[in-house]
Amino acid sequence: MESPLNREVLPGTLYLLILRTLRRGPLHGYAIARRIKDASRDGLNIEDGSLYPALNRMLVKGWLASEWGISANNRKARFYRLTAEGRRQLDKEAGEFDRLMRAVRLVMRNA
Amino acid sequence: MGFWGGITRRLGYLTRRSRFEQELNDEIQFHIDTLADELQQSGLSCAEAVSKARQEFGSRLRVREETRSAWQVRWLEDFFADLRYAARTLRRNRVFALTAICCLALGIGANTTMFSVAMEVLFSKPSCRDPQSLFQVRLGNGSFCPATQYRFLRDAGIFDGLGGMNIGEVVNWREGSETYRLAGTRVTDNFFAVTGVPVALGRPIMPRETNVAVLTFGFWSRRLAQDPNALGRKLVFDGKPYTVVGVLPRDHRNLAGFGFMPDLYLTLDSSEYLLFARLPQGTHRAEAQARLQATARELDRVFPNPDHKWAAGTAVSAVGGIERLAADGDMAAGGLVPIIAFFAMLLIVTGLVLLIACANVSSLLLARAFTRSRELAIRASLGGSRGRVTRQLLTESLLLAACGTSAGLLINLWLTTLLSRFRLPSPLPIELHIQPDWRLLGYSITIALVVTLATGLVPAVRGTRAGINAAFKEPERYFGNTRWTLRNLLVVAQLAVSIVLLSGGMLFLRNLLHATSLNTGFDTTRTIWATFRAVPESYTPEQFTALARTAVERVGALPGVEAASLARAVPLQSPFRPDGELRADTGDRAVHARYNFNAVGPDYFRVMQIPVLRGRAFADSDRSQSAAVVILNENMARLLFGDADPIGHTLLLPENRRVRVVGLVRNSKYFILGEENPLAVYLSYDQYHDGAPFAHMLVRARRTPDDILQSVNRTLGDLDPAVAAETRAMRDALQYALLPSQVGAAVLGTTALLGLALAAVGLYGVLLYAVTRRIREIGVRMALGATPANILAMIAGESVRLVAAGAAIGLAIALVAVRPLSMFLVPEVKPTDATNFVAVACVLSLIAALATLSPAIHGLRVDPADALRHE
Repeated sequence: MESPLNREVLPGTLYLLILRTLRRGPLHGYAIARRIKDASRDGLNIEDGSLYPALNRMLVKGWLASEWGISANNRKARFYRLTAEGRRQLDKEAGEFDRLMRAVRLVMRNA
Repeated sequence: MGFWGGITRRLGYLTRRSRFEQELNDEIQFHIDTLADELQQSGLSCAEAVSKARQEFGSRLRVREETRSAWQVRWLEDFFADLRYAARTLRRNRVFALTAICCLALGIGANTTMFSVAMEVLFSKPSCRDPQSLFQVRLGNGSFCPATQYRFLRDAGIFDGLGGMNIGEVVNWREGSETYRLAGTRVTDNFFAVTGVPVALGRPIMPRETNVAVLTFGFWSRRLAQDPNALGRKLVFDGKPYTVVGVLPRDHRNLAGFGFMPDLYLTLDSSEYLLFARLPQGTHRAEAQARLQATARELDRVFPNPDHKWAAGTAVSAVGGIERLAADGDMAAGGLVPIIAFFAMLLIVTGLVLLIACANVSSLLLARAFTRSRELAIRASLGGSRGRVTRQLLTESLLLAACGTSAGLLINLWLTTLLSRFRLPSPLPIELHIQPDWRLLGYSITIALVVTLATGLVPAVRGTRAGINAAFKEPERYFGNTRWTLRNLLVVAQLAVSIVLLSGGMLFLRNLLHATSLNTGFDTTRTIWATFRAVPESYTPEQFTALARTAVERVGALPGVEAASLARAVPLQSPFRPDGELRADTGDRAVHARYNFNAVGPDYFRVMQIPVLRGRAFADSDRSQSAAVVILNENMARLLFGDADPIGHTLLLPENRRVRVVGLVRNSKYFILGEENPLAVYLSYDQYHDGAPFAHMLVRARRTPDDILQSVNRTLGDLDPAVAAETRAMRDALQYALLPSQVGAAVLGTTALLGLALAAVGLYGVLLYAVTRRIREIGVRMALGATPANILAMIAGESVRLVAAGAAIGLAIALVAVRPLSMFLVPEVKPTDATNFVAVACVLSLIAALATLSPAIHGLRVDPADALRHE
């Protein structure tokens, strides 16, 4: 197995990734990082140090809500879930990201 | 929506910070543990897994910092941190903090108290229901409206009720065997219904009620000892019983404003009224004004008067606030300006004292900024931006200002409570009820902010200016000349302002001294002044004259009385000063002048000890049937007859009174102490009838007035139980004439001394600091052979330079600034008098010398060996 490329996540896409990850249900912080890493087939690796500040900023903005619960391995953990506002933000940012990517691809193909 | 949610969530964070920290720690721990578990499962040992997990996670501290900062309101956190730091710093330097807070407290206390008093006197809200819809109505360019016109206006139906009030009246109150004169405000029966003045006990006067009275709280406390059964009691006013139906609350404010507080309100017809109207629902003020104008023209038609038009100068104005002040000012030409000027002056004076206090604090902060320059340089080198450090220094001055303002407000509360207990009895009774309100709070907050900037801005900017190099350099030295540092300039400014204040205070003090020693022109040591007033309905003018004559005969017969005389007016207490045309038989043209008028009995000039220079005083033969005679004072005689002897000439007085001059008396004072070259005309009492139901009597005692005070009073009281008599010694009565001067001298003198004390403290601080900084230099000089005298000269020289500069600037400003004060002073005291400024300079020098004493001693005690080691 090739060593996973620890690429830093593009700044500005962190929120998008977290929101998307939580679309299917609440997760705790470690699980979010894990899910992103797995879902990108090790393509993206969130530095743990920037995860929690980001999660908290999203809490302040009201996109996420948090509550304490029990994790899979029977430990107390804080779970984050999307709020209605968060869902709206997810759609918005996903749309913007698509537009951006389309534009970049166009330039790469035609320029 | 998201914005506000964010604010609320952040506020929520503020309240549970410690719990937040704990939870964050748990969360991070959980993350690391879970990571360690996973690593363990992939084959590492427990210890290795944990250490690798920690390593992978990174700096927990940084994560905690950044997570926290997501929640923090940055500037708020900074502000609280600054406050805590400032509090710690101040606690460490207690002396400095206490000095600064005391200075500010005194300045702010004085200033806010003056503000409270000015607000209360000028802008107080009168006690009434719904002041927005109550208006004061004025006609014919005057505030007072005669009763007939009032009734006309009331019945015209423009307003939803028109009530009247007359404030200048007096009633006699008979209690047991004593009769007192009270300030009784006469109101129409519908007055309380129209104005809705709230009542604390009982009920207000109802429409169509007669012979009822409502007492003020002050009267009920002072005279009836807060009798709980006062309601329903019958009190005898002007010989008639009135039922007490209500007592007003303590914070009652009369609609006339200016702190006027009568003893009671009663239903009694008056000859004129102030008018108050309630506008009907839905009527605009402009509409009411128009209808008032129309009615006024109607009045002019029904009551034609060539000299006076009711339709000229009509106004419907608000009963409180600025508008009332303006309306009063329009109508009472010249009467209001001195009052406003007085308060403006007081506010300026206390503002100056505050400035001096701020300069002190600023100077102290500057000194500290210098001593802290190393600390500040280190902070700068550790990454603190200049703005950040400046903010921290400003927060310190904000804390000082806040503490100073709180302490100042305490002083304010104490002073205003003290002032609210006093009742000024004359000319109209005044009682102030100063209550702290939002206006005071707003003003105090503004002052606090201004003080913060004034004291802290310059030191903060200065303290953060020098870079790290400058701070670690050796402290600058100078030899010989005074350096004009900012602190020195501040002290010079303080001294200059102190001189201005002192000059003002000195003027008022001299005014007071002058007024007390001023020769009134008549005797005040053995004179007694009595007034007696009969109920107008009980006496016809002829009956009253007979009563008066009986009175003076009886009093004149008392042992211990040398002479007694009736008088229509009393100089300086109850003067009468008409203006009119006088025509001498020698001149061809008439003289138009304002003169002092009196009608006096035969013994008047003997009682008052006014010398009769030519001719004679009045005699018993000058009665109503005999030839009309007049006596003039020197100024009047000179005006009418020049240097010729006026005796024997005839004079034509206003109202076609032809009189013969029989006497010439010396000038004295009549209207106010401060008048110059007054004119006076005296008629014989028996020959002058104006039907007034009161008379003055002047009595000369054989020895001292106190001997006969009681017996005179009793004699007058025995005449008729319904007659109210008041007797007092002339010298006591004159105290009231001096009251404005006394108040002015006291207030201004105190504030001036306060300002000077503050400036002296500033001077002391600067000198002490200068000496401390030059200790090494002093040590070196002493080692090189300087005598104590040389050192003293060095230190004193600095002091002299500062004081001289301050005095020069101060005197220059004072010369200009004191000129407007002449409106408050007696003419003999001139604002630009040189002796005034010399006195002020002397006081300043004395205080400066005192302030220099301690630093000088400190400098002289320097041990050269110690000093050279001193840093």
